[in-house]
Amino acid sequence: MSEYFFELLAEEIPAWMHDTAAATLTQRLTKLVEETGGDAGGVCVNTTPRRIAFMLAKLPEREADRELEVKGPPKKAAYDASGNPTQALNGFLKKNNAAIGNVIDAGDYVMVRKQITGRGIDEILREQVPQIVESIRWPKMMRWGKGEFSYIRPIHSVISLFDGRHAPLTIFGVESGTTTVGHRTLAPQKIEISSYNDYVTKLELARVVVDAVRRRHVMAERARILANEAGGAPSTDASIWSQWQYLTEYPGVVRAEFRSEYLALPEEVLVTVMRVHQKQLPIRDASGKLMNSLLAVLDNEGDPLGNAAYGNSFVTNARFADAKFFYETDRKRKLADRLEQLEHLQFQEKLGNYAEKTRRIESIVRDLGGDADALTAAHLCKTDLVTEMVKEFTDLQGQIGGIYAREEGYPEVVWQAIYDQYALPRTMSGALVSLADRIDTLAGFFSIGAKPTGSKDPFALRRAAQGIVQILLLRDEREVKVGIERLIDLGVGQAGAPDLHDDLLAFFAERVKTILEQTFAYDEVAAAMEAGWASSLTDLADRVESLHAVREDANFLSILDSAKRIANITAGHASTSVDAKKLEHDTEKRLNELADAVGTHIDELLAERRYRTALESFAALAPELEKFFDDVMVMVDDEGVRRNRMSLLRKVGNAVMKIADVTKIVVDRRDYK
Amino acid sequence: MSRVTFQSLILTLQNFWAERGCLIETPLDLEVGAGTMHPATFLRVLGPEPWNVGYVQPSRRPADGRYGDNPFRLGKHYQFQVILKPSPLEVQDLYLDSLRAIGLDLTKHDIRFEEDNWESPTLGAWGVGWQILLDGMEITQFTYFQQAGGIDLAPISAEITYGLERLTMFLSRKDSVFDIEWTNGVGYGPVRHQDEFEFSKYYFEVADIDLHWKLFDAYESEARRCLDTKLVLPAYDFTLKCSHVFNTLDARGAISVTERVGVIKRVRDLAVRCAQQYLASREELGFPLLKRGADVSSARDRADETSAPLGGTSV
Repeated sequence: MSEYFFELLAEEIPAWMHDTAAATLTQRLTKLVEETGGDAGGVCVNTTPRRIAFMLAKLPEREADRELEVKGPPKKAAYDASGNPTQALNGFLKKNNAAIGNVIDAGDYVMVRKQITGRGIDEILREQVPQIVESIRWPKMMRWGKGEFSYIRPIHSVISLFDGRHAPLTIFGVESGTTTVGHRTLAPQKIEISSYNDYVTKLELARVVVDAVRRRHVMAERARILANEAGGAPSTDASIWSQWQYLTEYPGVVRAEFRSEYLALPEEVLVTVMRVHQKQLPIRDASGKLMNSLLAVLDNEGDPLGNAAYGNSFVTNARFADAKFFYETDRKRKLADRLEQLEHLQFQEKLGNYAEKTRRIESIVRDLGGDADALTAAHLCKTDLVTEMVKEFTDLQGQIGGIYAREEGYPEVVWQAIYDQYALPRTMSGALVSLADRIDTLAGFFSIGAKPTGSKDPFALRRAAQGIVQILLLRDEREVKVGIERLIDLGVGQAGAPDLHDDLLAFFAERVKTILEQTFAYDEVAAAMEAGWASSLTDLADRVESLHAVREDANFLSILDSAKRIANITAGHASTSVDAKKLEHDTEKRLNELADAVGTHIDELLAERRYRTALESFAALAPELEKFFDDVMVMVDDEGVRRNRMSLLRKVGNAVMKIADVTKIVVDRRDYK
Repeated sequence: MSRVTFQSLILTLQNFWAERGCLIETPLDLEVGAGTMHPATFLRVLGPEPWNVGYVQPSRRPADGRYGDNPFRLGKHYQFQVILKPSPLEVQDLYLDSLRAIGLDLTKHDIRFEEDNWESPTLGAWGVGWQILLDGMEITQFTYFQQAGGIDLAPISAEITYGLERLTMFLSRKDSVFDIEWTNGVGYGPVRHQDEFEFSKYYFEVADIDLHWKLFDAYESEARRCLDTKLVLPAYDFTLKCSHVFNTLDARGAISVTERVGVIKRVRDLAVRCAQQYLASREELGFPLLKRGADVSSARDRADETSAPLGGTSV
């Protein structure tokens, strides 16, 4: 089999873009390899900060020859009245290099079969690889030099090798060759490459580790050793590895120290500075406490002169010095004394300032039945927006307020509610404050016509709504027994826009669907939502879950069929009140009695949210229902009798419709045999 | 590493870029927040004329002042700004050479280019690039300009902005900017500390708010008047004055969140008109620099051959 190797040398590509780009590239290359009859298992994509490299290891030398059927003119147009070929047919044959003897009758049309000789793979690659590489859609493109091309970063060189020979191609005007360069500062010399293995080996010698996963492993091990030497371990709370592996070509790590006086700052601040601002990894001791040491990425083998350790200490101390200044400034003023400042902090031009928003949040929390602690948290929840710390570290809003409240001696339930307001709350009070804040934001923005459209959602309203849904799905001691509908009423009440109720309800319906569809099938979600959702999301979740469970059962088909028959025959009929005196047949009398008995039983089960058992009880009615349809004619001329029978069927059907509109479930009957 | 002072750093960078074909400009004689606002950058990156320039620019950021109390923050710092237009393919290597020129052995340090894109709402400008980290510390901002004054650029300019105090601090291992040496025997602190204190006090506490609003309005209308009479360079000066007055009012806490967006837009509108008019005026003049500009794209090789200044070789 044949091997193809490709490298694109560019300038440093942002770390967060590598994974997606590599995945896209792998997918397209796999498709290409499969189309040419190669083995997709041989596709291997690797990236470093400045390189995109791939190997296609298991390629045939040529595409397989194949036969192609080419459709010609309609038979009517292909032959004249006396059966001789027309000009249309002759033209078609000429174009396809075929003779009259090759014509095949294909019903209404004629056709010919053509032998296609497979092309050489190198030829296909030279045509396809530039297209595949050039068409990667990077999140933020740029132009350079004369400005003719747009890509993630300027392109320096390209290697294209087919079985060790140069397979020339051009990427954005850069002609391919067979050389690359090593590490930018440690081994910048030119290197001649003959194959993928050769590439990996030679680059390793030139201080470049091609495989991102290996860079990560080397760094993780080095980090562990360095932290260990300092008497601790690398903090495990870091998603930092996926960045680190794309920040260097050589997988180095350095340890640096900062002044221990800064350990007095809130841990969240220290961690944010290190992780978010400096892309460093904190070190913790055995008890999990932060140490005054950190780990930083290093695109070098080591740091024998201590330069990188010095630089990282320097910059971290500088950042912490700023943070300490902010912290000390902030602590001179209590959160409660900051409320007045919120009058001057605008929430949104048309929606007033944060003091007004705070009053609305408090009011909603009160209406939701929040206790004194919840109200205190609501009262203070936005005050950290006017602290120096949040002005500097905006992603710590909420957390900073919580930390300051803790230090001012507020009870745990209060400071946690403030701390958690933008996350998933730990307490009931937190849940109430979060709900109130979010519904106020949603109703407010809807009231000024700023609801999201398409991909545009500048105020992150979808996320706000999703947050509400997630909180309302909580079942432990944080279960807020309030429906979306009621919450919307409170929100639009504060916004003075009651007519927005339906708009918001529809908006929430989409969010609920999105979240439930992460766990359940779309038709299960749709069926359960049809039976109502806006008064309790936990109830909705219970119903979807039981539907999901019962769907696998053998008797689900009888539930479905019964419900469908009832729905079809009673379309447009709503009444469920049956006049027992008008019932004639034994079968319908018995069904009525059963419906009453089972109906009562099901209602009891529904009250206890035992939906699965309820669905099973309904399934037990199926034989009786079948007998009814066999013995009794519903669509009789006598309107009274007809309507009475329809009411009976409605009564039977409604028992299940309270759980879900099961007729919306799509089944493949073969699954049930 | 030889003894690095603030002054030796400036001289080395100036010589380095002069040797690579850059014209050495002087700082703009107005208050600006960054070297980017100098007409030698903001206006010269527009249109097809090649342009390679380097200069020091004192950069005033009133809100960053700390009364000289913070060892890392200054209300006025100095940048060394380089523009290479069109951006040569080896611009990163040229930059690394400049670090070698100031005495860094790059095999003993950690150098990384981390994504950092730049955007200036007041100038209607943005670019893509990196912050360059030396041993984990940001010492340079590197940007490929994509748009200025709302105009798509072609050719593209590479902008390299060195933070001179930071670099000196780091190279001379000082923990406070006020401890670095300006030149042998003369400290940066004794030269600049009074300046930091007085201007912090002025911008934060003393600046006359009413006067500055009046100045803003007056500069703005003068800029418009200049634009209407096709005097784009004076118009741009007044635009920059507006920008600085805005920064002063902002530091003084005189601009509410609501007003802020509106005021930024007023400055941007001027900057956009200046950019459009400048481009048109250069076109009318037949883009005078089009055939005369020094070409930096092969400057790296040339600089290896000789250390003599090469400005204007292709004239």
